[in-house]
Amino acid sequence: MTDTSTSANQAVPLIRFTDVSKSFGGAQALRDISFEIRPGTVHGLVGANGAGKSTLIRCLAGVNPPDSGSIEIDGELVDIPNPQAAGELGLAFIHQEMSLIPGWDVLRNMSLGMPLVTAGGLIDWRPMRTKALAVAERLGFSFPLSRQVDDLSTADQWLVLIGRALMADARLIAMDEPTASLSAREAERLHAIIRDLVASGATVVFVSHRLDEVTDLCDDITVFRDGTVTRRVVGERLRKAELVSAIVGKDLEIPDHGRDVIDRGDEVLRISSVGDGRMVKDASLVVNAGEVVGIGGLVGSGRSELIKAVYGASRFTTGSVSFDGKNVAFRHPSEAVAAGFGLVPEERRAEGLFLDESIAFNINLARLDSLVVSRLLPFLRLSRGRSRAQAVANQVTVKARSVSALAGTLSGGNQQKVAIARWLIDPPRVLILDEPSRGVDVGARAEVHDVIRALAERGAAVLVVSSDNEELVALCDTVYVMVEGRVSGRLAGPEITVDHLTHLSFENHHERGDAA
Amino acid sequence: MSLTESASPTEVDGAPAARRQRTALLIISKYGTLIAMVILIVIFAIASPGGSFLQPLNLLAILSQSALTAIIACGVTLVLVAGEFDLSIGYTASLAGVLVTGLMSNQGVPIPLAILITVVAGSVIGLVNGLLVAKAGVNAVVATLGVGTAVVGVSFGYSSGQPIVSLPAAFTAIALGRSVLGVPNLIWLMVIVLVILWVLLNRTPLGFRIQATGANRHAAALAGVRTDRAKIAAFVIAGVCAAIAGILLSSQLGSGMVSSGDGYLLDALAAVFLGSATLRDGKFHILGTLIGVLIVNIGFNGLGLVGTPTFFQFVFKGGILVFAVALATIARRYARS
Repeated sequence: MTDTSTSANQAVPLIRFTDVSKSFGGAQALRDISFEIRPGTVHGLVGANGAGKSTLIRCLAGVNPPDSGSIEIDGELVDIPNPQAAGELGLAFIHQEMSLIPGWDVLRNMSLGMPLVTAGGLIDWRPMRTKALAVAERLGFSFPLSRQVDDLSTADQWLVLIGRALMADARLIAMDEPTASLSAREAERLHAIIRDLVASGATVVFVSHRLDEVTDLCDDITVFRDGTVTRRVVGERLRKAELVSAIVGKDLEIPDHGRDVIDRGDEVLRISSVGDGRMVKDASLVVNAGEVVGIGGLVGSGRSELIKAVYGASRFTTGSVSFDGKNVAFRHPSEAVAAGFGLVPEERRAEGLFLDESIAFNINLARLDSLVVSRLLPFLRLSRGRSRAQAVANQVTVKARSVSALAGTLSGGNQQKVAIARWLIDPPRVLILDEPSRGVDVGARAEVHDVIRALAERGAAVLVVSSDNEELVALCDTVYVMVEGRVSGRLAGPEITVDHLTHLSFENHHERGDAA
Repeated sequence: MSLTESASPTEVDGAPAARRQRTALLIISKYGTLIAMVILIVIFAIASPGGSFLQPLNLLAILSQSALTAIIACGVTLVLVAGEFDLSIGYTASLAGVLVTGLMSNQGVPIPLAILITVVAGSVIGLVNGLLVAKAGVNAVVATLGVGTAVVGVSFGYSSGQPIVSLPAAFTAIALGRSVLGVPNLIWLMVIVLVILWVLLNRTPLGFRIQATGANRHAAALAGVRTDRAKIAAFVIAGVCAAIAGILLSSQLGSGMVSSGDGYLLDALAAVFLGSATLRDGKFHILGTLIGVLIVNIGFNGLGLVGTPTFFQFVFKGGILVFAVALATIARRYARS
């Protein structure tokens, strides 16, 4: 952490935005943005999805130059027409979607875009390796440079990307949601590295929805809402509640869903000692009708693999799954869907949505058979499909021009609502949601939770996988925690607290085999 | 509270010139190929001797010449929509021509049965392609190239490499006749096949599942779509369409020859890609494919009437494909930035 008093005296900011505006089509994405990024600080950008953080970063990165306004670096006006120009100015960007080349090793990935060539025009590996080794040392790589990046954990892949920025002698590194897919322990490690970087003179711009880490890590915070800056915090610590109200524009009350008095229905889904021979070793849990059951634990503990095996996207090799008292083993997700299951997958863009198709197409896809004129005349009634999609999109408050808009044009939160809305038509008996609010802003998150609760109240058995312990506390009636492929504990009702969940997540299952 | 107009009312101060430019680019990216088609028609109408290009008979000739390519190309469009590729269609068309004529002239099979068997054969070839790609996981280019090459072998084996002639007059009348309103049967058949394919792709659950499979096969599978079946269905449809075109070709030529349909592969794929640059943003679709076929044939016909040498007609064909797709892509990119 830098000393606030001295850095405040540094007259020239590293970057100064003055009245930066940008619009796409009719939509004004940024309106007169003005603020400064001080050198040697961690600068947090927070705001709801679609508030303008990513757009601003793209302006700085030269991906979408601003329509008007100016950007100064070290007090000098700069023009950043393309990403190359940003690189030459010492700006590096690490995006939500990882930009590593699979199949390449760490060294080649770190050296990407580095024009070190010999006199003969060939790549000169020796100086690059020397430099890469120094960077690896600085970042504390626990893997060799010859390792393929595919074999690294998500956290280590982030380190490689930071390493690439350092190889290019970046003065400013902007990170877009680096911790979204990291476990708490991995995130801590990344925080420590960011602090080290800043201590050695680098500047970090940090975009995150995890407000705890923002208040903890960032020296300065700029809050965006609807394309404008609503709050600038320079060198002071802000309480999370203040941050939330700056983001949402109003005080957010945490809904009490009264989980002590839930009316528990019949058992719908029972997973008994399921294993897949790989990540899942021994998982057992029960979901009743009308209940929201969570699966907590660290990333990599086998949670997503468990639900995919149950859903038929992969197979389980040991144990059994019973649905309404009958044993089931789906060989394909279509069998699960036909039986009354639904899944909102973890990777929204890769596995959940069709970004180049309309909202209506996305919503109707799982329920096409109920749109046809008749079995003998299998023609789709598209206008009915649109009104049906419109109705469920309204239920989850999707913000879009119409259901004919392409899903890819929506913000992350709205995309997630569309992914969930698909299962509001003729709701399934069992709905499984994997990380339902990852990359979703605070306001949309509360709305997503309301929808999930409402589905349960209408009798669905809901299973939620989440790495966000606060989400599990807010949402679930019962939570199972997985550690290394096994369910290590079960918490119910008032027992569900962040402390308990964290404790169980790091628990060694051998010490506490059958808790609960 | 939701689904409201998100555009703010105060955006008008954003430079109107830039907006006009963006609109123009969007029009070029969506309607560029259509505009090119209209321009071609106007040029040929003026330049052809005595305006012969616009004579009804010439226009019908263009449509007739387009019919077989359009049927094959629209069939393979479904495979491309499903995110795969099919290199076997030309060879399937050739085999269909050999098979349907051989069944009639060598085995004495009645015309309707010969046609039925041939169409089934086309669907079987599509099924093999589909199973190899969707079930065995073989790369589509490799699988369909292999199957297509094997199909060539079957054609040679069945016909001993000799053209099959002396066909019943009723068979040649299928392609050459003008049963309704004096319009050639080929045009009617093209319209029927294309309407069926369009409805199938855009108005049935199967069509939506094929689209979903091509757009994002992981998401489609997790939403309960049998992506393997969608792909297989697309390959089968492409095989059937290739067989229909091959049957019509042999009817038109009055003979079955082992390599008569091979050339349709590249013509069909060119039309599909040309069509993807039309009306919808880089997506494959039936109407676009039809327009792609028409542009190429209008160009060929018109250049012939104007008296251009043959070599130039091929340069035109290749040139318009690359030019149209590149123009649409570039216009789209600028319109978005």
